[in-house]
Amino acid sequence: MHHATLKGAAWSDLYEQHAQHVYYLALRTVGDPTQAEDITHDVFLKAFRHLDQFRGHSSVRTWLYRITINHCRSVQSTWQQRNIVATDNPEVLDGPSPNMEDPLRVLEVKELGQRIQKILDALPAEYSLLLLLVADEQLSYQEIASLTEQSADAVRGKLYRARKAFITEFQKTE
Amino acid sequence: MDTNPSKSRLKHQQQQEQASEQQITSRAGHEFASVEDLLRYDAKQTALPPAIAERLQDSLKTEPPPKRSWWQRLFGI
Repeated sequence: MHHATLKGAAWSDLYEQHAQHVYYLALRTVGDPTQAEDITHDVFLKAFRHLDQFRGHSSVRTWLYRITINHCRSVQSTWQQRNIVATDNPEVLDGPSPNMEDPLRVLEVKELGQRIQKILDALPAEYSLLLLLVADEQLSYQEIASLTEQSADAVRGKLYRARKAFITEFQKTE
Repeated sequence: MDTNPSKSRLKHQQQQEQASEQQITSRAGHEFASVEDLLRYDAKQTALPPAIAERLQDSLKTEPPPKRSWWQRLFGI
């Protein structure tokens, strides 16, 4: 990506390092690839506009995730208010295109992605978010606690229950 | 509550090891040591749509340059 108005390399690095993680968190939170694209675009636009507000007290990843979580909540709340179910969008049902060329593997990965999405949708939103955050090895428990506005001990307790709930749902889909 | 990030990361790792007791097998026969491993695999297989970068580039063309905070000025970002 090239941005003439910025010190290009720094902004480009920020996008390269974090965009895929932001997109994945958004995708598995809202369950719609098109919405996840919009959210990722908006998150980076917000980040660009508010670069001066980033104090460096948290990691860049944590800062971007905070914007992502808030934006996902806002999008979800708007959907609920409008009572729209986006099942007519074939991408919602199919999921996004996987990262590969072998058709058999594509099918396999798509199926697994759809299954994971179903499970995350079935779990309490708080559990899904915790599992998605803990899967990112760059985040510490303290950072996850800060992002979800609770203590690290509460995160540990809920994660234990979230993992169990996920596995129960996973087994149901077998 | 942990205040030391490295201690927190260590506990994070320990919990992941505990989580590995609950193995998950996908229909295609892939085995995952934990829910986190499965999600990491899913994340890696999920391609970032290139259209986002293109849209962002277009959007940024109309944006005024961002204000730079003290640390950005310091590091020349």
